[in-house]
Amino acid sequence: MPWYLYLALKQLFPSGKRFPFFTAISVLSVALGVALLVLVLGVMGGFGAQIRRMIVDTQGDVQVRSSSFIEHPHKVLAEIEKVPGVAAATPFAEGVVMIENENKPAYPSIEGIDVNRIEKVIPLRKYIRAGSLDDLDDDSTILSYELADSIGAHLGSRIEVYTPLILEKLKRDEIVLPRVLKVVGILEIGHQQLDSSVMICTLRTMQDLYGLGNAVHGINIRLKPGVDADAAAARLNASFSADSGLRAKSWYEINKDFLWVLQLEKNMMLFIMLFVVLVAAFLTMSLLLVLVLKKTREIGLFAALGAERREVALCFCLQGVAVGVVGTAVGMVLGFTLLHFRNDAVELLTRFTGSKQVLERFYQFNQLPAHSDPRDIVIIILSAMLLSTLAGLVPALIASRMKPVDALRSE
Amino acid sequence: MADPIISARALFKSFPSGDRRIEVLRGVDLDVSAGESVSIRGESGSGKSTLLNLFAALDAPDSGEIVWDGSATLAPRRRGALIGIVFQSFYLVPELDARANVLMPSRIAGKVDRESRARADALLAKVGLAERLHHLPNQLSGGERQRVALARALMNRPKLILADEPTGNLDEHTGEAVMELLLGLCAETSTALVLVTHNAVHAARTSRRVRLHDGRFVAVE
Ligand SMILES: Nc1ncnc2c1ncn2[C@@H]1O[C@H](COP(=O)(O)OP(=O)(O)O)[C@@H](O)[C@H]1O
Ligand SMILES: [Mg+2]
Repeated sequence: MPWYLYLALKQLFPSGKRFPFFTAISVLSVALGVALLVLVLGVMGGFGAQIRRMIVDTQGDVQVRSSSFIEHPHKVLAEIEKVPGVAAATPFAEGVVMIENENKPAYPSIEGIDVNRIEKVIPLRKYIRAGSLDDLDDDSTILSYELADSIGAHLGSRIEVYTPLILEKLKRDEIVLPRVLKVVGILEIGHQQLDSSVMICTLRTMQDLYGLGNAVHGINIRLKPGVDADAAAARLNASFSADSGLRAKSWYEINKDFLWVLQLEKNMMLFIMLFVVLVAAFLTMSLLLVLVLKKTREIGLFAALGAERREVALCFCLQGVAVGVVGTAVGMVLGFTLLHFRNDAVELLTRFTGSKQVLERFYQFNQLPAHSDPRDIVIIILSAMLLSTLAGLVPALIASRMKPVDALRSE
Repeated sequence: MADPIISARALFKSFPSGDRRIEVLRGVDLDVSAGESVSIRGESGSGKSTLLNLFAALDAPDSGEIVWDGSATLAPRRRGALIGIVFQSFYLVPELDARANVLMPSRIAGKVDRESRARADALLAKVGLAERLHHLPNQLSGGERQRVALARALMNRPKLILADEPTGNLDEHTGEAVMELLLGLCAETSTALVLVTHNAVHAARTSRRVRLHDGRFVAVE
């Protein structure tokens, strides 16, 4: 071990002292900064990942829509399923309806699904909280749970559904009765907006409600694992004839703006949080500066004992590096531990403040998700290390510029 | 006579003081050969420490030249090998125990092994600190600290020891013991010694005595 490394470590962790106060404070300051970054970016990334997963879960990897309706969905489905990379496809029809239960109205989005195909594309079953997907037939519906709550519906309730088609008929003075659907399932996706405004029925029912005949609005596609969604969308588009009016878009393309905002938000957070680490680095630097001043005479001594100037500088710089390495490691452990227990922490916090509902309402989630992007972790490690090294560099330069004689003369 | 370990010719050194310069050294010559010991006395501020700094190549003269064991330059590593320095105020590294402090010159030279450890222990035993190997400087008395510094100065088997008032911070009795060790060890290993001291009795024990006055050496006796 070169002497400057030996001495750097000895000065950080002196033999006799059980608790090196100076070192502990520097390491802790870096560790707290790093832990905060890991925690904040982990939760931010968790929101992002959850939103992405929800998008893919509810829309499939690729969505095909037509400029008008898809009149012959089965022909198109057969065509789509021949395209390489496609695992499964399912048609859907969508719209907005007014529903009523016990005189309480609501205006949810409604989606008609093909019960025979849906599960190959969308893992709907895992979001069903009560009832069963198997019970869904042409006279029943599945409601998202907040929607059901808001109109007081539960399993077995019969709700009345009014569609724009009924309005058309009313204009022609026809007598119309609302369609009555029985609630056979309650859905919880975990996203407040979806959970308060979505209902599901069979494709047949939806086609009746909207007078679509055999037509559908679009087709959701699940790709084989590892297939790139953009590339698959391009292949699909190439396979459609020009006059079909069909167009495939990847989930990524459909939600591009939204995803971009998410990423921007996270990058901004990373940038702002880096200042926290910067503050920690300044603390380390000022502590090292104090050390250099305290050690001025030793700087002269090492020269007298045969040390080169750059070695003396390295000795101080390495202390910054060592603080950075240990601080980053401790911070990582601390950060991931906090991340692991995040929900307990939130639970505790909201229990004290009684604000669990508020949290759900405004943040759309009832559990704090976490996802740590390896890219973020690398950035955190590199910047913490870089800043700590710089923190050691300033005192190191001061030390190396000092003439040994002046250092020895200083009292 | 053997080639001198250090040979200084016409050394001049001045320092800025306000807008004038004070001339501290005005033509100093000195040759020290192996086994020789030279004492330098002089009033406080007469430039004794300045001269030792030049000898150690920690500072450069305005003019004049110094030849160290046949070479006109002294790079840091060679300084560590050729010269051992003892300071008035010890300058031990507070985080290191006695043995690690003694090992420091060897560590800087890049060779710490079983042999150098044994040598450090032997040197500490020689200065009477065999029982204090693992004491930190702040657990040692002033005299003990200076003895550790003495062992450190000898660690790399230097050909020359520069000692700047090594007993200046010690009481008379302790200083006596340290001086005994310093002179004894140098004689035993035929290490040349340049000793700066205020103490006439100590000075009397060196083989040659000079006095720094008005920036020049004047012979004594
Ligand atoms: N780096 C320096 N800058 C300015 N003056 C100095 C410096 N070093 C020494 N001097 C001056 O040189 C003179 C001799 O100092 P020094 O060699 O320490 O004396 P001594 O060791 O004999 O007591 C003093 O007047 C001191 O103030
Ligand atoms: Mg002096």
